[in-house]
Amino acid sequence: MFNAKVKSEVLKGIIDVTSPLVSEVKFNINPKGITLRAVDPAHVAMVDLVVKNSAFDEFKATEMELGVDMDKFASIMRLSSAGDMVSLEYDEDTNRLIVKIGNLVRKMGLIDTAGMPDPKMPNLNLPAKVVLKASELNQGVRASEAVSDHLALTVDKDDFELFAEGDTDTVNLKLPKNLLIELTTNSKCKSLFSIDYFSNMIKPVRGEDPVTIMIGNDNPIRVEFNIAEDKGHVTYLLAPRIESE
Amino acid sequence: MGVDIGAIFKQEKIGYSDLKDRVIVIDAYNVLHQFLASIRQRDGTPLKNSKGEITSHLSGLFHRTANMIESRIRPVYAFDGKPHPLKAKTLEKRKIRKEEAEREYIKALEGGDLVKARSKAQQTGRLTDEMIQQSKDLLDALGIPFIQSPQEGEAQASYMVKKGDAYAVGSQDYDCLLIGSPVLIRNLTSSERRKLPGKDAYSKVFPKQIRLKNNLKILGIKHKQLVDMAILIGTDFNDGIHGIGPKKSLNLIKKNGNVENVLATIGAKDAPSFDEINEIRKIFLKPKVTDDYNLSWPGVDKENVFKILCDRHHFKKERVEPVLSKFENIQQMMKQKTLF
Repeated sequence: MFNAKVKSEVLKGIIDVTSPLVSEVKFNINPKGITLRAVDPAHVAMVDLVVKNSAFDEFKATEMELGVDMDKFASIMRLSSAGDMVSLEYDEDTNRLIVKIGNLVRKMGLIDTAGMPDPKMPNLNLPAKVVLKASELNQGVRASEAVSDHLALTVDKDDFELFAEGDTDTVNLKLPKNLLIELTTNSKCKSLFSIDYFSNMIKPVRGEDPVTIMIGNDNPIRVEFNIAEDKGHVTYLLAPRIESE
Repeated sequence: MGVDIGAIFKQEKIGYSDLKDRVIVIDAYNVLHQFLASIRQRDGTPLKNSKGEITSHLSGLFHRTANMIESRIRPVYAFDGKPHPLKAKTLEKRKIRKEEAEREYIKALEGGDLVKARSKAQQTGRLTDEMIQQSKDLLDALGIPFIQSPQEGEAQASYMVKKGDAYAVGSQDYDCLLIGSPVLIRNLTSSERRKLPGKDAYSKVFPKQIRLKNNLKILGIKHKQLVDMAILIGTDFNDGIHGIGPKKSLNLIKKNGNVENVLATIGAKDAPSFDEINEIRKIFLKPKVTDDYNLSWPGVDKENVFKILCDRHHFKKERVEPVLSKFENIQQMMKQKTLF
């Protein structure tokens, strides 16, 4: 059983963090809320999402799975405007999700979740941690997009640095410790990442909201932030690119 | 050849960019046959080197692989092993048809009918053991992995996709859906242009993606029933029932559940025995495959490629060079690590 009412923005937020990576997802629903973990088909990135029941205006559920075609769900949610209350109801007989937006009733066929993978979170040793404002990181990534397809992130004792280099142009964003919300590391850590993937991961978080990133040396990056007025939490993992050997 | 079941599937149009960073296992025999059929001159003569040896397969393999690497797709080729005994009949029939086409090809050439000559010539292509070896040598030199399957290449390919080692099978045949590959990609070409069979015209073609689970859902059948449908239509391993195509087969299986019940209802004389039916099911549902493979793209050995294509088969060096440069992308491509 699943029956909920929620603001349009919350659902759009969930779509924003998952749809760039995966087209079909399995939502795990339980009385406490909704969780999801998925890996993109190239196995380069993982998204882990937890949304508490308190993010919803109404939430009644027993333990179950919902297989959702995210493109379809996104197009349905585009029918709603900010502030709209959206009602969701699982129809067990037809295996559909009934989405109500105002007077509009949209019944969405669901995907069979049998055989959809349950990826495990890999064990990672990521010794460097930085917390910063989303707007600062966004600016650096946007600038990098114009010059290269990958960027380097470096965390040292006193600063955090983002660097991208193309054939003729470079981008450098250096933030000293006092401009960061938090910086913890014992040694210098540096890893390279695809800008395509990385920019999709930080796009959903904006403005003053804090983003936590954890890196190692030539290791994946862990990106974390909150959505749904801090009642939802997103964790991304992104595999690194390796510099020429 | 494979089962003629495409009409009932929902096929999504995609582009090379949708496959970026993804591993695609290509049914090698299927694609090499395609090259042999299509890479020909107007009168149907295949590409040949100055010694008169056919090179269509090498040219096709080289260009197709280069285009995929350029788009950062990770190709793997799966080659056929020893065919299943039930396929022998089909292969024998194909051989006879090819000999027939060869005779008609020569007749058409003599009569000056180039259009007919080309269309007949396309049906004559024979993949020899030597061509297979040359293709493998070329892949080795290009640094592209390939797998020797114990039996059917497409079964091996499907197994690897099911296991999660690859995203999709690349083949024109629908058989890999019967074997259970979650995703099939047809028309795995970026050229977007294909000659229409038997006509002097070209049409735009796009890669098409067919997802198994989605389609089973739409059709309202189980995977096992899809295999039963194919047995009614006819596969590489049996002839099928006269007068039953994909749509009729779907209705019959939905109404009756399985092949045995359908046969009991319609009472076909040309039906395979229950033993044969079970054997064919086994070919699709429990195919012979191997775990003995290693997927890595070590990069191109340019000297060796020149040796194979230019020295041995007289490709022009200035035409090979720009295509070969696309393979430099492999190093770039392999820089992206994966999580597992």
